[in-house]
Amino acid sequence: MRAGNRPAALLFLALLIPAAQVAAAPVRDGNGHVPERVRRLLLATLQNEDGPTPQAVPPADSQGPAVNPVHLDQPVQLERDLRAALRKPLSATRLTVAGGSARLGDYSVGSAEVVHGHVVVLEGSAEIHGRIEGNVVTLDGDVTVFPGGTIIGDVLAIGGKVHTIGNGSISGTQQLLEASISAAASPPPSIPGQIFRHAAGLTGLLAVLTMLGFGLVTFGRPNLEIVSDTVTHSFGRAFLAGLLGQVLVLPTFGMIVIGLALTIAGALLIPFAVAVYILVVLITTIGGLLAVAHAIGERITHRQLARGVVVSANSYRFVAIGLATGAMIWLAWVAFGWVPVAGTLMLVAAALTTWSLATVGFGAALLSRGGIREHFAGRLIAPEMMTDEYLWATPQFGVPAVKRPDPREK
Amino acid sequence: MRRLAMLGACAAAPWVLTPSPCGAQVMRTFSVSRPVAAERFLHVTLDFGGGTLVLGPAAGDELYGLTLRYDADRSAPIQQYDPRTGILRIGSEAVAGTGVRVSARSRSEQTARFFFSPTVPLALYANLGAGDAHLDLGGMTLTSLEVHGTATRATVDFSAPTHGPCKSATFAVGAAELDVRHLAQAGCDAVKVEGALGAVSLSFDGDWRRDATLTVDLAMGGLTLQLPAGIGVRIVGERFLAPFAAKGFVRTGDTWTTPGFDQASHKLRVDLKASMVQTTVRWMER
Repeated sequence: MRAGNRPAALLFLALLIPAAQVAAAPVRDGNGHVPERVRRLLLATLQNEDGPTPQAVPPADSQGPAVNPVHLDQPVQLERDLRAALRKPLSATRLTVAGGSARLGDYSVGSAEVVHGHVVVLEGSAEIHGRIEGNVVTLDGDVTVFPGGTIIGDVLAIGGKVHTIGNGSISGTQQLLEASISAAASPPPSIPGQIFRHAAGLTGLLAVLTMLGFGLVTFGRPNLEIVSDTVTHSFGRAFLAGLLGQVLVLPTFGMIVIGLALTIAGALLIPFAVAVYILVVLITTIGGLLAVAHAIGERITHRQLARGVVVSANSYRFVAIGLATGAMIWLAWVAFGWVPVAGTLMLVAAALTTWSLATVGFGAALLSRGGIREHFAGRLIAPEMMTDEYLWATPQFGVPAVKRPDPREK
Repeated sequence: MRRLAMLGACAAAPWVLTPSPCGAQVMRTFSVSRPVAAERFLHVTLDFGGGTLVLGPAAGDELYGLTLRYDADRSAPIQQYDPRTGILRIGSEAVAGTGVRVSARSRSEQTARFFFSPTVPLALYANLGAGDAHLDLGGMTLTSLEVHGTATRATVDFSAPTHGPCKSATFAVGAAELDVRHLAQAGCDAVKVEGALGAVSLSFDGDWRRDATLTVDLAMGGLTLQLPAGIGVRIVGERFLAPFAAKGFVRTGDTWTTPGFDQASHKLRVDLKASMVQTTVRWMER
């Protein structure tokens, strides 16, 4: 093997040993977990990680980081505090430990030593040959109590393990907390990252709705157009109907379920009825929203035509333009959503606008019975509204045209 | 054909284009154990929000222990023990304001394995959320037991006779499925079952040590009592729309009594309050 290939081979070997075995290892493990040890050794060799130089961590000032390990019943919070206290370089770390001391790097207590007070070990392991009268906490390190060693207190290993070898003893509680992957390692997303994430989400949603809209135009254009016309001609009524419909969705659902539960045959139908009801509500909501987009797109296209712009006026175009217009509402949030207060206000405004449009669409779908009833679509004119213009429409055929008077016939 | 293809594309679009919400989920493992010292009593409050729970006696000299795999975004481990009073609170609790996560069961399932010393007198109060729970209390020194579940499918087994004077065992379930096995081996003076909706099965098989009293208060669902032949049983029922299928009983008003009740070596008195509950009694050979 060439020298250059060794790190790659070692890395391959290290990764072959699954990390899951760490979690499965028993709490008391006198000889250590061999695959885990090998894996750590290999990784340490590769990364040339000897850990920080062992040293005492000076106490922080009165406003600086402090922990109280007298009760180890909040390990997650303690881990958060300890990671927050770490500085780069590590030697710049300051930490106040109530009733004890903090150490950086590997820490060892000799067989003749007695330590009074709690011990917090950061980025290193604790090896106990002597006696500690207090609690022991390690961050990213193991606690090993060797034969003759004693800890009169509790032990918490964050991102490490606890071993007792031979007659080494721990009088109190032993706790192991798997290291947090995200805690301090992952910084908050950058502003461009947030903008990109929001833009990607909006684009994806827009693409999904466009596809659904095109599908609806292809397979259910008459219904879509009736709902869309209902939106245009009965906007206020559709909004009120949508509002009422939203309020009544759950009570209606409950009544259906209770009504079915009253009979044996009905009870059997409950799962089917639940699925159908949810499906109907979803289709009504999404279909209504697409109908609103259709109505918006139709209005915009007609204005373009009135200005003399030559465009194709079809339902696909209406839906696409309507959805793009709806997406414009969210663009401000995509661009400035990261701004602390204004971003939230933009989000609320966009959500409210979208909810209003969805409510109108939902109401229009209800009023038109899913695009079947044209009553509110402005297509039917009541007889009393008929004017002479309608009653005396010019006949198209079957009646001979009146002959133009010829002055020569007089 | 073109329409079919378009319909397929429309149907597949949400799955292809919508990002998965589960990406940020972080599962962590927490373990705790404590050796037995000079404890004379362990009073445990166990909280577990949801997932799979297994509870049993400790194999070694541990007073208590827990291995918890939990969703770090939604919950946090609890472990508070006071050696002076013997009071322990253990399990997991929801992190405030995190709502409900909807994701694949295999990715989100929390698991917890609890164990307690069989030699130290134990009073256990278990508060279970939604999920599966398997509690084996056989051989423990049980002084009292209380199991509360909201939407839990729980199995409680007294696989071996318990030690100690168990005063009471209470099972309070919401919409749940509860199966209690070898209840005779619990050796509890009083057993109480309360439930709103669900199926409850109580099996009194095993070694009888003393007479027992069972109080059942169920609102809707099914109740199955499995009783060993030869013991004396008296059931006093207060029922509403609750059919009661009982063979081997002599009925007097709202009371059903097995023949030879007064002479039976062991007696079970049942106080049954049920509405819209199908109650079934099954006899087992001893």
